[in-house]
Amino acid sequence: MIGLTLAFHFDGSVTIAKTSTQEFAPNAFIRIGTDNVVRLWAIRSEMGQGVRTLLPMVLADEMEADWEKVVITQARMEPRFKGIRLRTSGSGSAVGTWTPLRKAAATAREMLISAAANQWQVKSETCRAQQSTVIHVPTGRKFTYGQLAAAASTLPVPAKPRLKNANEFHLVGKPVKRLDGKSIVTGSAVYGLDVKLPGMLYATVVRCPYLGGKLISCDPAPALKVVGVKSIVPVHTGFSGGVAVIATNTWAAIKGRNALQPVWDKGPNASFDSDQFMRELEQSLSKPGFPVRRVGDAPTALAESPRKLEAIYEYPYQAHAPLETMNCTASVQAGSCEIWVPTQAPEAAQQEAAKLLGVPADSIQINVTMLGGGFGRRLQVDYVLEAVEISKAIGKPVQVMWTRDDDMKHGFFQAPKIEHIQVGLDAQGKPVAWLHKSCGPDLSVLGLPTEQDRKNPNFYSDDGMPWGLFDNPYNFPHQTGDFVPVQSPVPTGPWRAVMYPSTVFARESFLDEIAHTSKLDPIQLRLQLLAPGDVLDLKVQKVDRARLIAVLRLVAAKSKWPVPPREEAGRLWGDGIACNVYSDDCYLAQVAEVSVSKELADIRVHRIISVVDCGLALNPLGIEGQTESAIAWGLSAALGGKINFKNAQGQEHSYADFKVLRIDQAPHVETYLLQGSDTPGGFGETAVPTVAPAIANAIFAATGKRMRRLPMTPEKLQNA
Amino acid sequence: MPEYSLQINGKLRTVTAEPDTPLLWILRDELNLTGTKYGCGVGVCGACTVHENGNAVRACQIAVYAAANKNYITIEGLSAAGGHPCQAAWIEEDVAQCGFCQPGMIMEAAALLHQYPKLSEAEIDQVMSQHVCRCGTYQRIRKAIHHAANLTPKKAAK
Repeated sequence: MIGLTLAFHFDGSVTIAKTSTQEFAPNAFIRIGTDNVVRLWAIRSEMGQGVRTLLPMVLADEMEADWEKVVITQARMEPRFKGIRLRTSGSGSAVGTWTPLRKAAATAREMLISAAANQWQVKSETCRAQQSTVIHVPTGRKFTYGQLAAAASTLPVPAKPRLKNANEFHLVGKPVKRLDGKSIVTGSAVYGLDVKLPGMLYATVVRCPYLGGKLISCDPAPALKVVGVKSIVPVHTGFSGGVAVIATNTWAAIKGRNALQPVWDKGPNASFDSDQFMRELEQSLSKPGFPVRRVGDAPTALAESPRKLEAIYEYPYQAHAPLETMNCTASVQAGSCEIWVPTQAPEAAQQEAAKLLGVPADSIQINVTMLGGGFGRRLQVDYVLEAVEISKAIGKPVQVMWTRDDDMKHGFFQAPKIEHIQVGLDAQGKPVAWLHKSCGPDLSVLGLPTEQDRKNPNFYSDDGMPWGLFDNPYNFPHQTGDFVPVQSPVPTGPWRAVMYPSTVFARESFLDEIAHTSKLDPIQLRLQLLAPGDVLDLKVQKVDRARLIAVLRLVAAKSKWPVPPREEAGRLWGDGIACNVYSDDCYLAQVAEVSVSKELADIRVHRIISVVDCGLALNPLGIEGQTESAIAWGLSAALGGKINFKNAQGQEHSYADFKVLRIDQAPHVETYLLQGSDTPGGFGETAVPTVAPAIANAIFAATGKRMRRLPMTPEKLQNA
Repeated sequence: MPEYSLQINGKLRTVTAEPDTPLLWILRDELNLTGTKYGCGVGVCGACTVHENGNAVRACQIAVYAAANKNYITIEGLSAAGGHPCQAAWIEEDVAQCGFCQPGMIMEAAALLHQYPKLSEAEIDQVMSQHVCRCGTYQRIRKAIHHAANLTPKKAAK
C-alpha cells in the first residue's frame, strides 16, 4: 500500500513524497501506525524547561490524540528534520513552534476525519475527533486513528486546516505533568553521560589552564602507566586545545589525566585577574561606546537638573555549572559520523563537525539526549568537536567527559559588566534625564565586534542590544543608552537571561535609589514612569507599558505593599520590588521579602512573590516551575558565588567554592499569572533578571545599606 | 586487576577493577547502572547518592575495595517499578526539571524518611542541603518529601 509522506516546512510550504508504508506520516513530527500508536517527535532539547512535554502536547491537543498513550521521541539531526529548527535558545521554543506545530497537527486531524467520513460515506462535519478516535456523532460509530492511518495517508493535504479555538483546548492551558517524570525518578532517563556504545572508550582532556595559553609538550608515559589507559592524543579543538587520555573506563581516564604533567606556554594573558578586569571596565566608561537609545537631549537636561544622582553597578563573571558536566559521545567512521550529545545546538554541532571532518553535513547524524541542565552553556559546540576529533584519531567510538573542575574552569562564562547610570531630577524629585552606559564583553566569545561590525554605530541597537538597556520600558523625557564593548580573554557566551541580568540589576536598583532620595514609593514611581500605559515602539520590539503596569499593580496587592521595614527577633526585615519586560513578550514584577541579622552577618530571602504575564500560558505548571527555577538561578548569582581568574587561571573547583542556592536558603515562591495576550511568550529565562535588584532593594529597605556589586555578601554589607 | 564481589540491589555482582575505583564508576561503567549520576566527584553535590546498609552515602567517595560486605541500593533498585513513596510523590508533585539531580535527591529523601518518619523542616533542610539542584526545584522537593511522608507507612523511629 503506497502512503504519502508530507514534509512540512516552517516557511509554510508542504511537499509530498511517496512512501511504501502503511503508516500515516503527515509531517516530520507525527507518525500513526496501524498499531494505533501515535508517535510524536520533540523538536527542541529538553534541559528542564519542559519542551519535550510541551511541544508534543501542543501537537496532541490540536490533533486530538490520546495524551496518555502518545510515544515521544527526540528529533535528531538527520535528513527527515532538515529545514526544521532544533536549536534551543532565546526562550524561543514555545513561541517559535506554537503556530507551525498547530498547523501540522490540524492537518493530520482533518485528514483523519476525512478518512473516516469517506469510509462511512458521511460529511466530515458530522464527525468529531477525540482521544485518538474519530466518531460519527449521529450514530456513535468510531474508528481509531490506527484504523484510519492507511486511508488517511492517501488523502489530499488540506491547505488551510482549521485551528482550534482557545475554548477547545483540553491540554493547552492546563497543568500537565512532565512526561519524563517516571524515567527520571527511576533512573532510566538517558543523559549524555549515560550513553553506552559497543566498543566505546572513555576520554578526558587536560586543557590549558592559562587563558589564551598553549601546550608546549606533554610526556604521555605517566598516563600510559595507569591500568586501563589505552592512548594519549593531542586535541586541537575546543577553546584551548590540550591532550586527551583514552581509557577503557572513566576512572582510568581521570587517573591517567591526573598523572600527566603537561608543560604550558602561559600565553599573552598570564597576569589576567578578573577583579582587576572589573576596574578596567570602570575605566572604559570614559569611552563613548555605541549609541543604543536616544530620547530628547539627556546630557543637556542632566546638566540643567537641580539635583543629580549617579551610581555604578558591578556584575561579575558567572558560570553555568549545570549538574551534568559537558560530555559528548562520537563515533567517526570513514566519511560519516554519529554523535550522541546533550546539546542545545544540534545544527551548529553538525556544521562544525562536518567542517572538522571535511565531509558533507548530511553525513553527520546527531542524537540529542536529555540535558542535565543547559542554561546556554550547551549552545557551544567546543565539547562536541573534541569528541569528534578524538574518535577520528583513535578510530573508535569515544565518550569524552568533563570533570566538575574542567567545567568550572573551561566554560563560556556570563560576561561581566559595569553599569553606570546618571539621573537628573526635577524640583519634585522626579527623574527627567536618564543616562545609562553599560560596559563589558558583548555576546561574542571574546567580547568585541569584528572590525567590520565595529564601523556600524547601530550594530547593537539594530538588534535591540543590550537587553534591558535598549528596551528600558520607562517614559523618561530624556534618555540615553550606550554600550561599550570590551575584549575579554575569558571566553564568554549566553547564560540564562543573557544581557538582562546586569542591566536590569542596575536599572531596577537605581530606580529605588531615586525613590528613596525623592521620598517616593518605589512602585508608585514606576507606575508614574510607565504612564500613560502606551505601547513603546522600538521597531525591533514593542513594549506594552500597560501590561507592565498590570503586573506591578497585582504584585503590590499580593505583597500587601508597602510593608514598612521592621525589626523582629534580632533581624531587620524589608521588602524590595523589581520589574522587567523580557523580549517584549513577557512582563514580570517581583517582590522579595528579606531579613538580615542585626549584626549584618547573614542575609536571608524568605519569600519572593512573582506576578507573571507571559501571554497564553501553555502549561501553568511549567510557568510556575520556570519561575521557581529562574529565581533559584538569579538568587545564586545575587548572593552566592562568582567566577574568578587569577594569573590567567580559573579559581573555582566545584560547588564547594562556587556557591549556588541550596534548599536551606531557598525562599518560598508564590507565582501569579496574568494573561495579557493570546499567544505564548517565551518563559525559560524571564524571571531571572528581577531577582538580584528585588533583593538589593529589600536589603536597603531593611538596613539602609545599598549593595551595588554582586554577589551581595555579609562582608560587603558590613562594609557598605 | 582484582575481583570484587558486591551486593547491589539485592544481587551479588562481581567486577574486576582497580581497588581505588569509586563505587560510582563501578555502578556506571561496569554494571551499566547509570541512574546514579556524576555531578562533581568530590562529594559536595549529592548526585551520586546510593544507600549503603540503608544509609544515604556518596558513591563517588567509596572505593570499591571498601565496598565489600555492604548492601547497596541504587535508584534502579529503590522499587520494582517506580512505586516507592518518594518516587510516587516526586511524580505527583511534578518535581523534576532537568532531572539530573533527582535520583540523588530521591535516595537521600528515601533514607531520611525511613529513619525519621516525622520530619521537621530543619531536618529536611539539614539533610537535603547536601544536594545541589541547579534548576532550583527545592520548593517542590520539600512538598514531595512531605507528601511521601504521608504515603509512608508509619513505623517507630529507630
